[in-house]
Amino acid sequence: MNRLFAIIDASSRGNFEKLTLHRMPGALPYAGRYRLIDFALSNIKNAGITNVAIFPFGNYRSLQDHVGSGKRWNLDRRRDGLFILPPKNLMMPSDDMLTFQGMHEHVEYFKRSTQKYCLIMPADIVWNIDFNAVLDEHIESGADITEIMHENTRLHAFILDKEQLLDYILNYDIIPYKSIHELLLKKKQLVRNIYNHQFYTKRIKDPYTYHRSNLDMLKFEVGNTIFSRKRPILTKEKTAPPARYTNTAEVSNSMIASGSLIRGKVHQSIIGRDCVIKEGAEVSNSIVMSNSVIEKGAILNNAIIDKGVVVKKETVLEGSETQPFVTQKEQILTDQSALRVLFVGAEAYPYIKTGGLADVIGGLSRALVKKGLEVSVILPLYNPVKEDHKESFEFITNHTFTFDGEERKIGLYRHERKKVKFYFIENFKYFERDDIYGYEDDCHRFAFFNLAVKEVLDTIGPFDLLHLHDWHTGLIPKILNHQMVSPPKTVFTIHNIDYQGECEQDVIDALNLPRSDDGEVNFMEEAVKEATKLTTVSPTYRNELRYEYYGKNLTGPLLKRDRDFYGVLNGLPKDFAPQNDKVILSRYDHTQVFTKTENKLFLQEKMQLSLGLQKFIIGMVTRITEQKGFPIILEILDEILSEHADIQFVLLGTGEEKYITALREVAQNHPGQVRLNIGYDATEPNFIYAGADLYLMPSRVEPCGLSQMIALKYGTIPLVRRTGGLADSVTDYDPFTKEGNGFTFYPYDAHALKEKLYEAYDVFKNDKDAWRHLIAQAMRCDFSLDTQAQKIHEIYLTMI
Amino acid sequence: MVLVGGRGTRLHPITKHMAKPAVTFGGKYRLVDFVLSNLTNSYIGTVGIITQYEPHSLMHYIEHGANWDLDVSGGGIQFLTPYTAYDGDKWQKGTAHAIRQHMHFIRQHDPELVLILSGDHVYKMDYTPLIEDHQQSGADITIATFKPHDSLSRYGVLKSDETGRLIHFQEKPDHPEGDMASMGIYVFERKALETILTEEMPEGFDFGKDIIPKALQEDYRINTYRFEGYFRDVGTVQSLYEANMELLDRPELLRLNDYKNLPIYTRSSDYPPHHIMLSEPVKNSLVSDGCLIQGTVRHSILSNNVAVLEDTTIDDCLIYSGVTVNENCQVKNAIILENTVIPPNTNIVFDEVKVIDNDILWALGDDSNE
Repeated sequence: MNRLFAIIDASSRGNFEKLTLHRMPGALPYAGRYRLIDFALSNIKNAGITNVAIFPFGNYRSLQDHVGSGKRWNLDRRRDGLFILPPKNLMMPSDDMLTFQGMHEHVEYFKRSTQKYCLIMPADIVWNIDFNAVLDEHIESGADITEIMHENTRLHAFILDKEQLLDYILNYDIIPYKSIHELLLKKKQLVRNIYNHQFYTKRIKDPYTYHRSNLDMLKFEVGNTIFSRKRPILTKEKTAPPARYTNTAEVSNSMIASGSLIRGKVHQSIIGRDCVIKEGAEVSNSIVMSNSVIEKGAILNNAIIDKGVVVKKETVLEGSETQPFVTQKEQILTDQSALRVLFVGAEAYPYIKTGGLADVIGGLSRALVKKGLEVSVILPLYNPVKEDHKESFEFITNHTFTFDGEERKIGLYRHERKKVKFYFIENFKYFERDDIYGYEDDCHRFAFFNLAVKEVLDTIGPFDLLHLHDWHTGLIPKILNHQMVSPPKTVFTIHNIDYQGECEQDVIDALNLPRSDDGEVNFMEEAVKEATKLTTVSPTYRNELRYEYYGKNLTGPLLKRDRDFYGVLNGLPKDFAPQNDKVILSRYDHTQVFTKTENKLFLQEKMQLSLGLQKFIIGMVTRITEQKGFPIILEILDEILSEHADIQFVLLGTGEEKYITALREVAQNHPGQVRLNIGYDATEPNFIYAGADLYLMPSRVEPCGLSQMIALKYGTIPLVRRTGGLADSVTDYDPFTKEGNGFTFYPYDAHALKEKLYEAYDVFKNDKDAWRHLIAQAMRCDFSLDTQAQKIHEIYLTMI
Repeated sequence: MVLVGGRGTRLHPITKHMAKPAVTFGGKYRLVDFVLSNLTNSYIGTVGIITQYEPHSLMHYIEHGANWDLDVSGGGIQFLTPYTAYDGDKWQKGTAHAIRQHMHFIRQHDPELVLILSGDHVYKMDYTPLIEDHQQSGADITIATFKPHDSLSRYGVLKSDETGRLIHFQEKPDHPEGDMASMGIYVFERKALETILTEEMPEGFDFGKDIIPKALQEDYRINTYRFEGYFRDVGTVQSLYEANMELLDRPELLRLNDYKNLPIYTRSSDYPPHHIMLSEPVKNSLVSDGCLIQGTVRHSILSNNVAVLEDTTIDDCLIYSGVTVNENCQVKNAIILENTVIPPNTNIVFDEVKVIDNDILWALGDDSNE
């Protein structure tokens, strides 16, 4: 009986955003009365296992609260029992998977465990499995390790001999495998056995799978398999009377937990404990967690309502099947279909653009308007904008106010474009220049802009909230909070933490604000301190910013604002689509992968590379800087081009001279293999997106990154470092299950990059079918602005 | 001291195989949950449970009392069962006699006050004000009283003077005087209890029938305490049914959803939330975990793990756990006991509430065949 001890790997963060702001994925409520980890614990109990360790990360309070002493699962024992083993090293972002090093931090536990076999599994799988059957098969197979899979997907659940495992743990710093997953991928002589679990199994990794899997429980066969009478799923005991239905209740195909009061309509939904669905409310295809109240006339469809939420009367929350509407815990939602928002930024597409910021402001404002919000955008009026557009602008008013001890005059203009109202602030002294940035007085210019925005708020408003972008708007929250009686709420988005806007205190004096104690003013820091909510451009980057390596001087202030800080992945405008691209030679979509090869030959010709479909073209469109990974690229580029004459390298970009020089040297050594296009208009970027095989992006830091998304859309397989937005958009290809849309590596070093690059090269060369499959999967990825807009809208709703 | 030994004859056949306190109430609860929750909510942690009739299901249900946080060291729950001693068998005959048989338990814990309770009442009560009232009155005994919603003749009827001192007591009188009834809840000075119980008494004596009249006669100082909350003695099938239905019709009386104010704890089930599978109406009802409902349910209370299959209609019923009501049945005004299986196409429609289990169903079937 007692042959197994179990490790629950609760270190996977998943991609739940708001749902895991206050809890770990394992502690997510599920099917009305459970938590995700109940499945792991109950399967363990039902197998008679009495020695269990949970490896959590981050905030595991709610997990600890839920499992308690483990008594419910027979784990409150004198011998063995339940152990919670948190990571010791909290200074570095942890891996998304339990590593041998992580286990080594608690090696005593492994040494003390007396059972012969170890079972390892994640905390976030919904399943009902007989682990003794797995163990029997493992022993019979004579394999080193048995991996449990379901329908050709990996579940990261394994059984192996304890002594073997201990050997890996004790030698974690010598062996080339970080985790059991890597061991399986890389150690060729390992004898593995696959246990195929045939019944319903779902790994919960994001709001989509969470929503979908909850609703799966409403299918009788699925519910019956999971909540089997033979192997029951147990959960923490709570006290609640039976659910009550009144005469006005109308319920169909729904699961409703104890203590709830149903007066309204519920269809295809899961209602948690102690919820109230009032008369006239309609809940469909939704998950409502415990203690929430849905008031009269509210309509929910495809929504995930976290615990203790109040949806006020007549409020409509509508998500989609693929993108359910997600609330935050204890949020109060009111009818805000026509929320009035003012975007503030230094640039916006299509008026003026130097980088991604302009695209985000232009695209997101439009996407929010499509959702029914009223969005205005306000910018400084620079010379180039004036020259190109001013005749179509409508003059609104002149306004004077004091800045830096002097009376200043501004002009206010308006231009409506696709239902977004754009406002422009004209000022001779500060904005009549040819460039947006790069002047000595930038801080004063944008401080002036910030004050001007406040001054015109009454004229162009009112607004429910202001959405501020990057450091150029950083002083607005401080100005509003100090100079207005009831300042509007603000969201501040960090696009790039490398530019924070630092200058002398005289800027503060110019604004007539009280000086802070520090020697310098930091625009971004002021915003981080004063804005109502903070966001950045990807969930992973948001987590990275908690560590000094990424967050730098703002780590402390950001950690302080942790509960108000969100990460939302930027969307990709629909314009990036190879089927509509008028620049490239042949248009194609994911069903015409072969057409892509015409673009490949065209690229080779255009770049004067030696022709051939067998060549492996690595493409890059990028700024040539340290951040983008050029130090590690240059370390191996010459080597790989020498080792494989059929690897080609095409680059478009500009940047730091020392890297360009080094690149030129490599190019000289490998004529016909390398083509550098230095300068932004050296060639069309889309030639590379459409023609290359692999898109290289080994960035050290990448808040979001758009070009990997473009590459994916064009079926050019990205190879990226798992950081920031790259980690949120590219998943590593698994040669066994064929899952994934690209190649990823984690440690920022040349060796890891080279290894991954050869892995990709190997698939390209030796498994054409797999490569085509990969292209098709890449092209099917969706990073729509609508998704981004919905998530941003959800954040707005937490503020009202 | 919680008395749970009664046979509950008037609740037959519900109590055929279980003690009255183990009877299901309000879908998820057992009657004994109320007294145990009241005890834990009053921070009373040393509890003797005196059992005799069909004790096993109850002992299995209560276990160590962990569900009510009564598994405390140095006190907690102790089951006091009849036993054989050198001076004879200690069977319990009457409520007061039962306490006397277990006086050793009281001595062992050496309290100043002894609170005597029943395991079969439905009420939420903090005993602290009762105990404080007792202490302030300086009395030997305090009897908790309430104003019944039904006939006083079912209860012990009390009359007190303006200080609350008991002056007159009648046990289940035909012509009651006064409007106060005894809840069967007593606070005793430990010394008074020992004195009054150790005196020679006829075999089989009760608090209501024997001890209180005797104490009154012997000039013990007896105080009365008026409890204003909801209180139901569910001694008969009809009163049990009515008290259950009050949960549907007047939920504001017992307020089971109010966890802040005296929560009632119960042992939780291992079932998933119930599943309403089709769009047949489920109205004005309480439904517990693990139920699968395909039919119509109106004005009824369903315990855990009840299946109601297609084209079946349930009206005005209490359905206990594990019951299956198959396809195309009509059931009205019934209390269906644990694990009863009602075969398809069955009509059991009653004008007055009736208890149903598998045996009774068979008997009904025989009748109709004749």
